[in-house]
Amino acid sequence: MPELSYREAVRDALSTAMRQDEDVFIMGEDIAEMGGSMGVTQGMLDEFGPERVRNTPISEAAIVGTGIGAAMQGMRPVVEIMYEDFLTLAAEQVINQAAKHRYMSGGQLKVPLTIRTQGGAGWSPGAQHAQQLEAWFVHIPGLKVVFASTPSDVRGLLYTSIYEDNPVIFFEHRTLYGIKEEVPDELEPIPLGEARIHREGEDVTVVATGRLVHESLSAAQQAEEQGVSVEVVDPRTLQPLDEATIVNSVKKTNRAVVAHEAVTRMGFGAEVAAVVQYQAFDWLDAPIERVGAKFTPLPFAPVMEEWVIPHADDVLQAILRTVGRDGN
Amino acid sequence: MATEIKLPRLGQGMESGTVVRWLKQEGEKVEKGEPLYELDTEKVTQEVEADASGVLLKIAVQEGEVPVGQTIAVIGEEGEDVPDAEPEAEPEGEVDEEPQEEGSRAPARDEERERGREASVETEPAEAQPTTVDGRVKASPLARRIAREKGIELTEIRGTGPEGRIVAEDVERALAAPAPAGAPAGAPAEPEVEKLTSIRKTIARRLTEAWQAPVFQISMSADMTRAQEVRERLVELTAEGEAKPTVSDVLTKVCAAALMRHRAVNAHFVDETVRRFPTANVGMAVATDRGLLVPVIRGAERLTLAEIAAARADLVSRSREAKLQQTDLEDGTFTVSNLGMYGVEQFVAVLNPPQVAILAVGAIEEKPVVVDGDLEIKPMMSLTLTCDHRAIDGAVAAEFLGTVRELLEEPALAL
Amino acid sequence: MLLIRRFEEKVEERFRAGELPGFLHVAIGQEAVAVGVCRALEEGDVIASTHRAHGHALAKGTHPNELMAELYGKLEGCSHGYGGSMHLYDIERGNLGANAVVGGGLPAIVGAALAFKFRDEPRVGVAFFGDGATNIGTVHESLNLAQLWNVPAVFVLENNHWAESTPASQHLPITDLSKRAVAYDMETMVVDGQNVQEVYETAAKAVEHARSGRGPVFLVANTYRLTGHYVGDPQVYRPKNELNELRETQDPLDKLRAELDISDDEFEELDREATELVEGSVEFAKAGTDPKPEDALKNVYA
Repeated sequence: MPELSYREAVRDALSTAMRQDEDVFIMGEDIAEMGGSMGVTQGMLDEFGPERVRNTPISEAAIVGTGIGAAMQGMRPVVEIMYEDFLTLAAEQVINQAAKHRYMSGGQLKVPLTIRTQGGAGWSPGAQHAQQLEAWFVHIPGLKVVFASTPSDVRGLLYTSIYEDNPVIFFEHRTLYGIKEEVPDELEPIPLGEARIHREGEDVTVVATGRLVHESLSAAQQAEEQGVSVEVVDPRTLQPLDEATIVNSVKKTNRAVVAHEAVTRMGFGAEVAAVVQYQAFDWLDAPIERVGAKFTPLPFAPVMEEWVIPHADDVLQAILRTVGRDGN
Repeated sequence: MATEIKLPRLGQGMESGTVVRWLKQEGEKVEKGEPLYELDTEKVTQEVEADASGVLLKIAVQEGEVPVGQTIAVIGEEGEDVPDAEPEAEPEGEVDEEPQEEGSRAPARDEERERGREASVETEPAEAQPTTVDGRVKASPLARRIAREKGIELTEIRGTGPEGRIVAEDVERALAAPAPAGAPAGAPAEPEVEKLTSIRKTIARRLTEAWQAPVFQISMSADMTRAQEVRERLVELTAEGEAKPTVSDVLTKVCAAALMRHRAVNAHFVDETVRRFPTANVGMAVATDRGLLVPVIRGAERLTLAEIAAARADLVSRSREAKLQQTDLEDGTFTVSNLGMYGVEQFVAVLNPPQVAILAVGAIEEKPVVVDGDLEIKPMMSLTLTCDHRAIDGAVAAEFLGTVRELLEEPALAL
Repeated sequence: MLLIRRFEEKVEERFRAGELPGFLHVAIGQEAVAVGVCRALEEGDVIASTHRAHGHALAKGTHPNELMAELYGKLEGCSHGYGGSMHLYDIERGNLGANAVVGGGLPAIVGAALAFKFRDEPRVGVAFFGDGATNIGTVHESLNLAQLWNVPAVFVLENNHWAESTPASQHLPITDLSKRAVAYDMETMVVDGQNVQEVYETAAKAVEHARSGRGPVFLVANTYRLTGHYVGDPQVYRPKNELNELRETQDPLDKLRAELDISDDEFEELDREATELVEGSVEFAKAGTDPKPEDALKNVYA
């Protein structure tokens, strides 16, 4: 089985789709010769040419809107928004247009658009280049939202997203581009709405996304050494959410921790906690813990940045609190 | 065909307008689109154009405030009959305080909004659900905490909350553990059917029998001052680890003594015969969560108060732990039922057949009493004797009860 | 145009009767632009409209029955009751949707035109927008990208000199709106929007320019809004005599009538036809089917 990095896995999904389907094309800022600010689309210009690998001006609204228009005509564009912070500039087209055309037309059309973007803190990118904004988009009916955390997941899920007939916001995480994993020889599409259990356990369920999946696995290992058995679940698709897998896991373990890099307050984790609280109320032996960034914009100085964003230790502390071990 | 000119709604929130003046006279020709009258709304005075062409047959409202939708004029062919201009009010909604804005609520469509709202709150009535699922008792966090703090098992409680969940109220109720007649069911049962345990069946059967006996009740009150003093003195003298005598114990001793003096009351009525017994086996009614039990202290007239206390303590704890033997429950000749600890002032107990009498005792309460013409406060306790009239007459019962009172009021007489 | 005029008048009337919920913006005075442009289009060409969409929708071929039914919120409406006046869609007839967000529909037209180019289809995308919209970001991003990528699009600016209640003098630093396209080096045409014949001819040229692959066109149609911004707007911000004068002198229907020298009888005949269609559409709409409340859950996702 070949080993691919997360970055290569994204490229592979895009290329596979483009090779087999003339209707798939990509556009975004600096994706052609430069191969993208994160190097994701390197080499694709050579393979597919400038018509299908298009550099765009700095016009996020038009990039997304043009994608919408082409998608409405039956193509399957994959547009790249360089940093998820810049989704703000395209938000009107994403939220007022892409998410709602099908509904407002009474079902007359579809918008099979995929919007790829990346975010994440670490390495001091500063407050406007580091946000995790999935909470805004899972809140909009009409959008689907995906956040894969491993090479095999990102490859299988991006491919499925391209062929999804609804607009998909596809989040990638900057610090994960380099991680490697063994992947199947052939691309295996992964259905949306299915969570993945990375590690089974008996005492605590940790639901984690993005970078925090890996932090949680590390925390789970440390917890094991302290005699606490932890199950780590990655929803992978945030909307629609695989509630059943998450709830069944909590029914087994009776304790839940939700971990994401985004700001904790009013975040995606709050929704997961509410879902678990409601469906597994009688199975909970402890309040649900949430791990996330503190309620600040991201500071620049490394010492402050590290303090604001969550790490494996924070997940471990949360795990221990749910089993009543840290003195609480 | 004549056209009724109605006052138009010119914006959201407009409920009425004031016709200021007519720009055409009755009888004049009017073209559709021509200014017909001046209208004053809250915001602005404007000309309103005619909706139809023809002759202005009638002006129904010359000037003044008119609700939206009301007919103010009629335009038609010359010589046409004018329909009675009925003020046909448009369906009015709530008064809107917002200024004239874009958009309309369209009050004519309010019925649809009603429908949408109602449909949204319709829910299926929830099916009754079990309290325990997959071996896990459903209980709210608050209920669990209360149960934990008060040391009560969740499995013993029936849940009445959503989905059959045990909520705080259910735990509180279980803790209150009311009179035997109202004891809650033991195991968490399905809401539909509660089969009687064999104990309860027996109780039910015997109470039904008892109900068939012709009974009468007499009652007296006893001044418990001396009884309490004696008891307190004895408690002081009780050694460590030994059962402390209670008022119930004093009662048992006193009743036993009285029963010996009034053998007719120390009897069973069976098959048209009355059997009097030589010894007093006094039963005490004990409330357990399985039902009412009446363990018996045999030969109470011969036992000291300390011995009675010990026997009582043993029987009560074994009752509560469901460790009573059959012999503990047999051969009672008389029963005392005490609801004083629940604050009951006075009550009537049901006979415990085949016994011919049962004594119901209430709480000791400070009451005003007349003693030698003076008003004093005394600790009084009610005594109510229920008797089987087939075996005992009123006079016999009264004498017995009188002795009980006498002995309670001066325990030395029981020696 | 007469159909549009009578339709819009009926809409105003029914709104005042309290039967039409929501926001309504009628195109009285701007009929010539809608008709002139849409008549110059061919099958397969698509349009994106604005909040003032009834005229465009009718001109592009949506039957008044389906349009009125949509305004009444019925299942038989062109958007099946899900959209309303500002979200009229008729995909079969190439109407990609009215848009309640100013400038919101332009990027999608760029995308549609791009798709036509990809697939080598001789189709054109047309976006309508107003002078008010020329101040918003999406319009500029769209013009820039369309010109850069040379897509077959025509951007029709309906310059009615008002952005809601704000006159051009208060929102535009320029008076000649064709200057907006100079920054993008886009082919520009200007036309008297009240003369349907001229609009038609100019639009045909613009569409041909785009279709032939020579690039997008910025078409400025100078027109007049002979009503308020929304139905019920008392237009307190507009000098009364200005409005009256415009109604006298700038009505596109009057102009066409004069040009074609239509007799009163002929006009009455046409008027009767139009009115019948419109009144029929109200009957059709009122007899239509209300959606069930739970129908709201459909169509969120494909």
